[in-house]
Amino acid sequence: MKDIKRFKWFKLDNAAKIYPASHSRSWSNLFRLSATLYEDVDLKVLEQAVKNTIPRFPSMAAKLKQGLFWYYLQPVDEPPAILAEYSYPLAHMTKKEMRECAFRVIVYRKRIAVEFFHALTDGTGGLIFLKTLVAEYLELKHEIEIPCEFGILSRKERPKHYETEDSFLKNAASVKETRKDTNAWHIDGTPEPDAFLNITNFQMSSDKIWHLAHEKNVSVNTYLTAVMMKAILNLQLELIKNPKKYKPVKVLVPINLRPIFNSKTLRNFALYTIPELDPRLGYYTLDEIINIVHHKVGTYATQKNMSKMIQTNVADEKLLILRIVPLFVKNFVMKMVFNSVGEKKSCLSFSNLGQVRLPEIMRKYIERVDFILGPQAQAPYNCSSYTYRDILNVTFSRDIKEARLETYFFRELQALGIEVTVQSNQR
Amino acid sequence: MYCANCGVKLADTEQRCPLCGTEAYHPDIERPEVDPLYPKDFVPKSVLSKTTIHIIIFTLFLIPIFVCLYADLYINRCITWSAYVSLSVSISYIIIVLPSWFRRPTPAVFVPLDFFLIALLLQYINYATGGDWFLTLAFPLITYLGIMVTAASVLLYYLKKGHLYVIGAFFIAMGFYMDIIELFLMVTFKVSFDGWSLYPMIPLVIIGLGMIAIAISRNAKAILARKLHF
Repeated sequence: MKDIKRFKWFKLDNAAKIYPASHSRSWSNLFRLSATLYEDVDLKVLEQAVKNTIPRFPSMAAKLKQGLFWYYLQPVDEPPAILAEYSYPLAHMTKKEMRECAFRVIVYRKRIAVEFFHALTDGTGGLIFLKTLVAEYLELKHEIEIPCEFGILSRKERPKHYETEDSFLKNAASVKETRKDTNAWHIDGTPEPDAFLNITNFQMSSDKIWHLAHEKNVSVNTYLTAVMMKAILNLQLELIKNPKKYKPVKVLVPINLRPIFNSKTLRNFALYTIPELDPRLGYYTLDEIINIVHHKVGTYATQKNMSKMIQTNVADEKLLILRIVPLFVKNFVMKMVFNSVGEKKSCLSFSNLGQVRLPEIMRKYIERVDFILGPQAQAPYNCSSYTYRDILNVTFSRDIKEARLETYFFRELQALGIEVTVQSNQR
Repeated sequence: MYCANCGVKLADTEQRCPLCGTEAYHPDIERPEVDPLYPKDFVPKSVLSKTTIHIIIFTLFLIPIFVCLYADLYINRCITWSAYVSLSVSISYIIIVLPSWFRRPTPAVFVPLDFFLIALLLQYINYATGGDWFLTLAFPLITYLGIMVTAASVLLYYLKKGHLYVIGAFFIAMGFYMDIIELFLMVTFKVSFDGWSLYPMIPLVIIGLGMIAIAISRNAKAILARKLHF
């Protein structure tokens, strides 16, 4: 009984505080994780699986409620209805929907997808939810027993306090990092008139990339980020004719803070680093870019530096003047700050979820896993990557018509001798 | 199967290349039927559809018309001044909002339509006020202006090059328009010629000729680029 009381409501975590404020009529900050099975999904069984799974995730299976001073999360009372898939993922989530349930479960033939409002959790937390949900589904459907490993949580256990904590508050340093940064180049294009989200998925052999990355003594993530930056650089050189108008190429690389701070939270706990190229200084070779990304990530993604970055955000949250103003004023101020600074500092986010590992018994049932980020509020792209079953996936989402960046990214991979299979939801 | 244009390997779900749009077809390659990655043609309904927005704007335009008609009828027991308001608001709606109903509104239809409606409004005002200026002044002036603006907007819309020629010619035409205004004022109101129209006409014609000269001469363009760079 005490446990149930404890999980009646949650403050938004430090990173999540900006998300409801930056929500607009045309942009909701969502991401999706999905698992595609070898057989069609049984809706009845899935409904039961959702029902069994959500009590284990009180901070994620939640609705977004409004207080006088802050938003807060409240666990949903009823499991949400399972929705049908549209022609594109991450359809706009209105504030009204969030007040009822800030995540969605969507089924399309063999695929089970979960879409989260980013205030609930981040990619790592979302993946744990998806794995647990699919494990529950498979257990019910095939009457098998799936071990609770690789992030799968037991539905029989009660939620733990450390899973719902705001690890940002716990790990802030005493000094702040500066937020000053240059603005990045933004890719332009013709907006899709009906908010259609174009998804382009590249699949390639993870072994091949692994070997290429290890030849340069860097991680796969660093290597792919460098390839992406080179594609953006080439695209800018092609589109912008006047070298004086070149702007920095910057890619936001999210960093999962859980291993760094030894946290097991299921809330948001990630920060980022932004490697940067300045095309005004001349052309960059891939080796140069790899070097820049490798060292930037290496120097930034340390426990000490990250705690300093955390403090920058936590200090703002603790400002008395910000705390005592009513929510609607706060929203107004935060929206203005977000619009003027928020996403101008990078061309896109390139979020690598790494290797998606599953228990052997589950792998037999799951053909593929997908991870899709919604586009940025003011830039038309975002990109994610992950590896499942030795296949490395890079998935672009864009809300403009032209697939220019994808083409440039493909050309870079082709030049490296990597065979790529492309898939999309084009109309 | 590989894209014949950009060389990327296409998954069996793809009928066209997602990167370059090239049709994925080869007579010798049979492709298995597979589910598309996402269902086709199933998009969420927008809360505020285009039709809803149009209905809202239409209603907003109707409000002043009804208010004025009601006030006029209530005070004067017949339609007097409210007719001007109603007709003006209706014509404004047609000029401003109506083109947005169409995906690609062409100026060849809408611009002459706008001038025709303005001519009708002027004709009504002339009739209602018992004036005698429509046929000898308003009609020729609005016709001339209508033809010029239609020609210029259609040419600017459809031509890909030579915009400077069109704008130059339009300036010259507007210069002569000043003279025509004075001429018809003389005819209609029996005033004497005092030549005021020459003052706007001369600079307009000079600007127009200058633009055409710049458009003809590459040299002039180069000089301008050099002298006016900033």
